[in-house]
Amino acid sequence: MSPTRRSSRGTTHLRLRVALIGVAMLLSLFAGRLVQIQGIDAASYAARAESSGLVTLDLPAKRGRILDRNGEPLAESVAGLMVVADPQTTAPNADAIARILADRLDLDYFEVRDTLTEKDTRFAYVARRVPSTLASSVVAELREQELTGIDTRPDPLRSYPSGDVAGNVIGFLGENGKPAAGLELAFDDLLAGKDGRETYEVGGGNRIPLGDNTRVAPVDGKDLRLTIDRDVQWYAQRVLCNTVQTVQAESGVAVAMDTRTGELLALADCTGTEPGMTPAEVAEAQRKLVSSAVSDVYEPGSVQKVLTFSSLIDDGKVAPETKLTVPSELPVLDRVIGDWFDHGTLQMTVAGVVAQSSNIGTSIAAGQFTPQELHDHLTRFGLGQKTGVGLPGESRGLLTDASEWSVLSRAQIAFGQGLSVNALQMAAAVNALGNDGELVEPSIVEGRERTSSGQEVGTATATKRRAVSSEAARKTAEMMELVTTPDVGTAPGAGIQGYRVAGKTGTAQQAGGECRCYAMGGKAVSFGGFAPADDPRFTVYAMVNKPSIGGSGGGTTGPIFRKILAYLLQKYAVAPTGTLPPSIPTEWSTGQDLGVPSPSSLRPGQGEVDSEDLSDGADGTSGAPTAGSTTGSE
Amino acid sequence: MSTSSSQAASGRRLPRFAEAAVERARLTVVPARSLGRTQAARTPFAVLVLVILAGGVVGLLMFNTQMQQTSFTATALQDRATELTARKQALDLELDGLRDPQQLAQSARDLGMVAPQTPAFVRLSDGRVLGTPTPAGGGDAVQVTPGPSKKPAEIERRTVIVEATPRAAADGAP
Repeated sequence: MSPTRRSSRGTTHLRLRVALIGVAMLLSLFAGRLVQIQGIDAASYAARAESSGLVTLDLPAKRGRILDRNGEPLAESVAGLMVVADPQTTAPNADAIARILADRLDLDYFEVRDTLTEKDTRFAYVARRVPSTLASSVVAELREQELTGIDTRPDPLRSYPSGDVAGNVIGFLGENGKPAAGLELAFDDLLAGKDGRETYEVGGGNRIPLGDNTRVAPVDGKDLRLTIDRDVQWYAQRVLCNTVQTVQAESGVAVAMDTRTGELLALADCTGTEPGMTPAEVAEAQRKLVSSAVSDVYEPGSVQKVLTFSSLIDDGKVAPETKLTVPSELPVLDRVIGDWFDHGTLQMTVAGVVAQSSNIGTSIAAGQFTPQELHDHLTRFGLGQKTGVGLPGESRGLLTDASEWSVLSRAQIAFGQGLSVNALQMAAAVNALGNDGELVEPSIVEGRERTSSGQEVGTATATKRRAVSSEAARKTAEMMELVTTPDVGTAPGAGIQGYRVAGKTGTAQQAGGECRCYAMGGKAVSFGGFAPADDPRFTVYAMVNKPSIGGSGGGTTGPIFRKILAYLLQKYAVAPTGTLPPSIPTEWSTGQDLGVPSPSSLRPGQGEVDSEDLSDGADGTSGAPTAGSTTGSE
Repeated sequence: MSTSSSQAASGRRLPRFAEAAVERARLTVVPARSLGRTQAARTPFAVLVLVILAGGVVGLLMFNTQMQQTSFTATALQDRATELTARKQALDLELDGLRDPQQLAQSARDLGMVAPQTPAFVRLSDGRVLGTPTPAGGGDAVQVTPGPSKKPAEIERRTVIVEATPRAAADGAP
């Protein structure tokens, strides 16, 4: 009995010992593995866990909208998606996938196929900035057909719902989503906002409720409201571009502004691409298209005369009725100043000189100014200075120092040659005459906003300053009415029946070509004015650069002016004032009281003035070959 | 007298009352009943603890399950919200497209409408006509679609005439 018991006890002990050793070895193994996982390979396992379960998502900030004055969007951001592929997965089914993608997303089949079969990569862009509904439905369709490897990622999409309306002002976002031009660039800090970021754990496509979760909310960009009226802008663009195409011009600009506040209602540009342009030249034209109203300068031509005469009236040197004797030509230094129409010695009043746009008459009247006086007056109209509208790439134009002026340059500057302006400057200067003599800074941004370069602009920051007296502005406006009066002025085609419209034509030669002289350059025809003349509400200024067919301020740009102005008056329900224009004599004769205007004596040999005739014979300074030689080349 | 007798007693042997005290000092366990307590039943307590434990575990499990379920719902709703937002934006875009001035102008043109070139108004207060009412004609129409762009020189057909002499042709022949 006892040996049996001992042997059984011995077996138990042995079994226990073996088990203990077994367990100890197993536990050591576990411990070793633990040390390996936790101590040695910890970082790599953490990374693996993170990559499999942790999702880090960029939360793109929504870019602010650009709105017109009525809140209509001109540019807005919508949720878009980028369609991306994993070529290693898509390669076997590339044909089928490419067919669907090319069909649905309007892509090139062969390009898509190449992307889907790219080697040595697991990530390739198929399409960017696709509207999210479209992208999702395409991916869903692919999933249905069990074609894998295509996925989507958020990719905000910038949409311009009004098409090309105000595209010249707004600019655009480049391929990389960075602003490339215009207000998108100038106000990027305001519009862009700040991207956020979210990190969370997922399991099976769903967020793990108590998992890691951090979120930095995105800060959306702010909206930018413009003073542009979308409808007016559209109309101005179409009217301008029609003319630019019809007369085969190089480019054109049209500006419409609220006379009292300087708010820009339309700022249209049109660039005609010429045949035979190289891609680089087309790109250059595209770049210039962005607000060429502020970036491009030209010689203003006869529109300038109203600035000269209002300054003369302001100083009490002339009145609209002042009698001038205008010879057929005027030698100044080594040159001869001529008019656009041949005439003998005329007896014109100052009003007649404005109505008929006589260079000689203007030069004679401006002779009462010293160069410094004229320079100071033009500076008060804002020439040679930036308008501060806030558009990128604004040029200040050129108004040389008065000390550098000769007698000839004083005479030329008085009628708009020998200085350069941008279209917006000129519009603002003409606007001052409509705004009771006060120059108001033009603005395109509503309220007060800061550009990325730190400049504060907007209607709230626009300043006013007096350019000429109220009296001088009123008298000049009355003379400008004669310009659009049939049988009296140079641009009856710019008048609107029933309204009192004040305007002034301009035709200027541009230095250009290889010689940088007037002979090689083309013309810049323009028209600026406002209505109703006795209580101005809107100022419109249009300029067409280098027209190939015809080309006169009255005949080419006058109708642009009239159409845009008529549209504005109708849209904003500005009724005619119902007053009668004052009767200002445009000519005088010795031994006889000042009479009513008589066109036959003003334009010898022509009984009637109509816009058709004017479209061929340029008004202003330089349409006639004689003027080309007289205004000179440098 | 009594004092002397007690001293005498202590000197000889323990007094009888002390014997009783010693006898009483032999400690025994106090019967629970004598203290007014009853023996707590172990089973109900254990059951209670187990129930609480089980309840906690099950509750936690259900809570977790519920949260997971909510998470699924949240994901589904999030997807739905994203989809609806996208659809709203797509519809907004479509609407914007229809309200685009260009689109409106083309529709108006197709209806034969022309923008008036001479604005005139009727003042409702006294019925007066302000301005000169002038009917717009076809000539007043503004071309709403931009004209065709010019043909680039690159795609102009260029006819190249090569003077081929018979000898050159003979050389080129196989």
